Amino acid sequence: MAATSKAYKSQTVESGFSLRSLTHLLGSQEFILLMSILALSLVVYSDNPRFGTERNLLNILSNASYIAVGAIGMSMVIITGNIDVSVGSLIGVLATIAGQLAVHDYPIWMAWTAPILAAMVVEGFIGFLVAYLRIPAIVVTLGMMSILKGGLILATGGAWIYDIPQEFFLAQRQPYGIPMPIYFMVTLVILAALWMHYSPTGRAIYAVGGNAEAARLSGISEKRTLMTVFILHGFMIGVAGLLFATQFTTIQSTVPPGLELMIITAAVVGGVSILGGSGTVIGAMLGAILIRVIQSGMIFLNVSAYWLQAVQGILILLTVLADILRRRRQAASIGK
Amino acid sequence: MSTREAQREPSEWSLTLREFFLGQEGVLVVFLVIAVVVLAFTSQNFLTSKNLLNQARLMTEVGLLALPMTYIIITGGIDLSVGSIFGFSAVMLGWLWQEQGFPLEVAIVASIVIGTLAGLFNALFIVYVRVPPIIMTLATLALYRGLAYGVSQARSARGYPEWFFRFGQEDTFGIPTQIWFFIVASIITWIVLARTPFGRGLYAIGNNVTGARFSGIPVDRYLLVIYTFSGFMAGLAGFLFTSRVSTTRADSGTGMELDVIAAVVLGGTSIMGGRGTIPGTILGLVLIQLLKNGLSLSGVKGDATIVVIGSVLILSILINNFLQRRFAQA
Amino acid sequence: MQPILELTNISKRFPGVQALQNVRFDVLPGEVHALIGENGAGKSTLIKIISGVYKPDEGTLRLDGQERPPFSNPREAQAAGIATIYQELSLYPELSAAENIFMGHAPRTRFGAVDWGRMRREARELLASLEIHDLDVNRKIGTLSVGNRQRIEIAKALSLNARILVMDEPTAALTEADVEQLFRIVRLLQERGVAIIYISHRLQEIFTLADRVTVLRDGEYVATRRVTETSEPELISMMVGRTVDDLFPKLPAEIGEPLLEVRDLWRRPYTLGVNLTVRAGEIVGLAGLIGSGRSELAQTIFGIMPAQSGQILIEGKPVRIRHPGDAMRLGIAYVPEERGSQGLIRQMTIRQNISLAVLRALTRGPFIDRQGEKSLAERMIDTLNIRAYSTNQIVNKLSGGNQQKVVVGKWLASQPRILIMDEPTRGIDVGAKAEVHRLMSQLAQQGMAILMISSEMPEILGMSDRVVVMREGRVVGEFSREEATQEKVATAMMSVENGASDAAELAVDGVQTGAKGR
Repeated sequence: MAATSKAYKSQTVESGFSLRSLTHLLGSQEFILLMSILALSLVVYSDNPRFGTERNLLNILSNASYIAVGAIGMSMVIITGNIDVSVGSLIGVLATIAGQLAVHDYPIWMAWTAPILAAMVVEGFIGFLVAYLRIPAIVVTLGMMSILKGGLILATGGAWIYDIPQEFFLAQRQPYGIPMPIYFMVTLVILAALWMHYSPTGRAIYAVGGNAEAARLSGISEKRTLMTVFILHGFMIGVAGLLFATQFTTIQSTVPPGLELMIITAAVVGGVSILGGSGTVIGAMLGAILIRVIQSGMIFLNVSAYWLQAVQGILILLTVLADILRRRRQAASIGK
Repeated sequence: MSTREAQREPSEWSLTLREFFLGQEGVLVVFLVIAVVVLAFTSQNFLTSKNLLNQARLMTEVGLLALPMTYIIITGGIDLSVGSIFGFSAVMLGWLWQEQGFPLEVAIVASIVIGTLAGLFNALFIVYVRVPPIIMTLATLALYRGLAYGVSQARSARGYPEWFFRFGQEDTFGIPTQIWFFIVASIITWIVLARTPFGRGLYAIGNNVTGARFSGIPVDRYLLVIYTFSGFMAGLAGFLFTSRVSTTRADSGTGMELDVIAAVVLGGTSIMGGRGTIPGTILGLVLIQLLKNGLSLSGVKGDATIVVIGSVLILSILINNFLQRRFAQA
Repeated sequence: MQPILELTNISKRFPGVQALQNVRFDVLPGEVHALIGENGAGKSTLIKIISGVYKPDEGTLRLDGQERPPFSNPREAQAAGIATIYQELSLYPELSAAENIFMGHAPRTRFGAVDWGRMRREARELLASLEIHDLDVNRKIGTLSVGNRQRIEIAKALSLNARILVMDEPTAALTEADVEQLFRIVRLLQERGVAIIYISHRLQEIFTLADRVTVLRDGEYVATRRVTETSEPELISMMVGRTVDDLFPKLPAEIGEPLLEVRDLWRRPYTLGVNLTVRAGEIVGLAGLIGSGRSELAQTIFGIMPAQSGQILIEGKPVRIRHPGDAMRLGIAYVPEERGSQGLIRQMTIRQNISLAVLRALTRGPFIDRQGEKSLAERMIDTLNIRAYSTNQIVNKLSGGNQQKVVVGKWLASQPRILIMDEPTRGIDVGAKAEVHRLMSQLAQQGMAILMISSEMPEILGMSDRVVVMREGRVVGEFSREEATQEKVATAMMSVENGASDAAELAVDGVQTGAKGR
């Protein structure tokens, strides 16, 4: 370390900065993900050019949208060192709430906002149990998952909802030829990225996840930060639920299988460290897109879609391993 | 010496009695009695040996997984992948036999071995790479389930020979065969946990892993054993399940980790580690099964009963926390 | 000049120990005031009171001449302009240097957003004001050297407008170049009127850097001197100046053949080529400052951090120890330094703790012999005079002295031939202390080889047949019982020559081992 800092002294701070920021950019998780997405797309495209049609590409992005929006909140939750496995069930419940309101002639705006509010209430409750009663998030959300899943079946019997008014289907609209979910994804990712970068509370999330003790000394309340994170996460899941509910013309009142895993995978693969304290929502969005590219690519390469979940498991494992090894190397390189 | 001895005994006794009634097991027994009484009065079909034995049959698979899960949670870990290992080994059983043409006996043994290896894979990463158990087993929850789907292509295997159903559908010595597996496994895991150096070591690890290491307890080896054991039991349960339902499907055991963890936690095992017993877990299992049974007798559909399990999981942790806090004050 | 901070009559008691008794301390603006004393003299308790971590039981605190109640939490002390730089730094490894400096009080734009541009600029300015120009404020803290992290901590303190800076052993983990730069920074701060409370074991540093020095001993105030008016020998004698009373019933024991021999033992970065011999019936006292590698040596011998090279011989035969199980089979027992976290499973009972290291021997078939276990625990309770009403009592509810006896009992149960005791009497009351000492004497008489690590000079001098002194990972002195005096041992522990270069070497070694990975 002494050697590097000496070598470094000879450069001016400015040139060192630009060089470093370039290597930083090239080594970042976002860049690696972007390259993986492009490389993978090219491989699939060279085998089957139909993959590259505008429609398919827009479809991939559109399908990635609600995953990405869900992964925004999940990223925040994971950065603080927690997790939420109930999101899949929650989205299923939200879709049913939205559909039921729409089909029973409530105003459309109500059918759209009610699930968002409901999600914020549920996640706020989870946040309360985690932040104030100190119950591990994995257990709380595991319990919540089955309450929501079972409650949904109990209430609806898993019935399909038909004959919903056409204007309800927000996700099917295509302003300027681009599917609506993509607008949501891009806007929310940008807003969340800005918030997490520029707001004091956004920074507090990283502080709490990185070193809760130090955060306390800096006057940051862990409990309040956690509550904020879970409520915001609820908002994002609410929007994801809305996009999910309005994508097809019917809604089945069940829980979409494996959805929570997809959202967690997107966040983790996007570089959100499960050890807490680092990660960005842009990475999470790219993670969601990567999953959908893989999924679509498998179809175009005639690989059975049944392997998708195994691929997700491997993606999580690899990312986590890389993260652990990186931290270990970092800890070793400074000597202690 | 002798006078002190005399003083010591009664105080020890009263201590354990108080512990029992204030602790989770005492509360569970009370709940259990209430549940039985209520169910017996509301439904004539409940207190029949046929129903009770059938409930026990249904409980076996979750029960087999709850035993190693008790060990794991006592050490402060968790295994979220048990449902996926369960499904994966069941699928491998059917696939090896039907698609690969292995003799069924070989396929059974192989599927249990595969489950064990899946547990070992978790264990190696948790112990040697130090991946937190939650994350490792969440990743393999996806991975093993994915492999189950991938290998089987979601086709179910059926048409097993008659002898195969002896394990899951028939009786041996008057009770459903698989219950014998559960009884034997319960007794062994109970005695091992309560009476052997290994069991004592698990409590030590859960309470203070550094202290355990400094006392010469082979922490890494113990952790390797329990996560591998969890895989083995998942494989065994997968086989019994296949025999019970006569078919293997890739989605078998989805969400099963929830039932397992709920039973263990309800049984008084602290999710923070360091506390828990096998009898407690068995009480938790029985209570949950009774609740399910009660709900289905009163006409609630099977899938909806998980509402109760989820609530039980959260509530029992709240109660557990509360009791422990009160104990610490007392 | 008026002191910026003045403490008088400060007392603080912890269960079983009087940590501070009527201590006074003051610091002037622009002054470097060093605080010294042996391990356990009460320095860290005092700085924790100054930084608001502990509240004193008694005493008054004056800030700028105004009396005020003692700080009830670190935030309050921070608001009063006191910043503390601990040895374990409180930073966020995954965030940038600039953000680490400003976490919790980042500059904002008009719209309330974090003003990153200004934050980076101010961070650079702060560092520049400390004449640090080669530190990129955008780098993640996790990738910075220890020296640079410390500079970030200092900048953080300044960003909070600290007027009093408490530095706890700041040079302990630094390389030589880093130490020099730290000194430059301290002088710069001094010129700006910042008061600095400086805790260090390295007397040479104190003579280079400090204006005044205050000595604490056994929780009591000894003296304050201007450094120009004192000398190293005087400071050492003030730190150790105690009468060795007859608290130590060391009985003569017949010293036999070497039981434990350590030859050129390496485990970087703490154990650097150690040679050591302990004979049957002998008590060897291992002295040294905190961080000198004593406990690490013990843990290497015991297999918790197995040796990288070198030899361990038991009764003259070379052995390999890869984990504690190996060591235990060879008849080694280790009573560790941290009773709570290493020695005991506190939520478990006395019986379960005492049997923990010998469970394998206590079995009947595959099962733990409960009766045997219980009678073992009863035997230990009687032998060691543990005050408990039952073998089933939870260890956490015992007093410190009785807890320590449980740890000792646990290891005596393993019937060791070689007993390593790390701070055997720390934090326990006088009565229990004497009992532990008597026991050690008896064990030595029975032919056990005892290696005793202690930070208490009277204990070292009173109990040891031979005193071995470690400093920075090496054995630097050895004295027979007759030769050993407080001054000689303390001088070897703190010896002034080339302390810094040793530290540099130590740090470089650390980097190398780190790179190899654990």
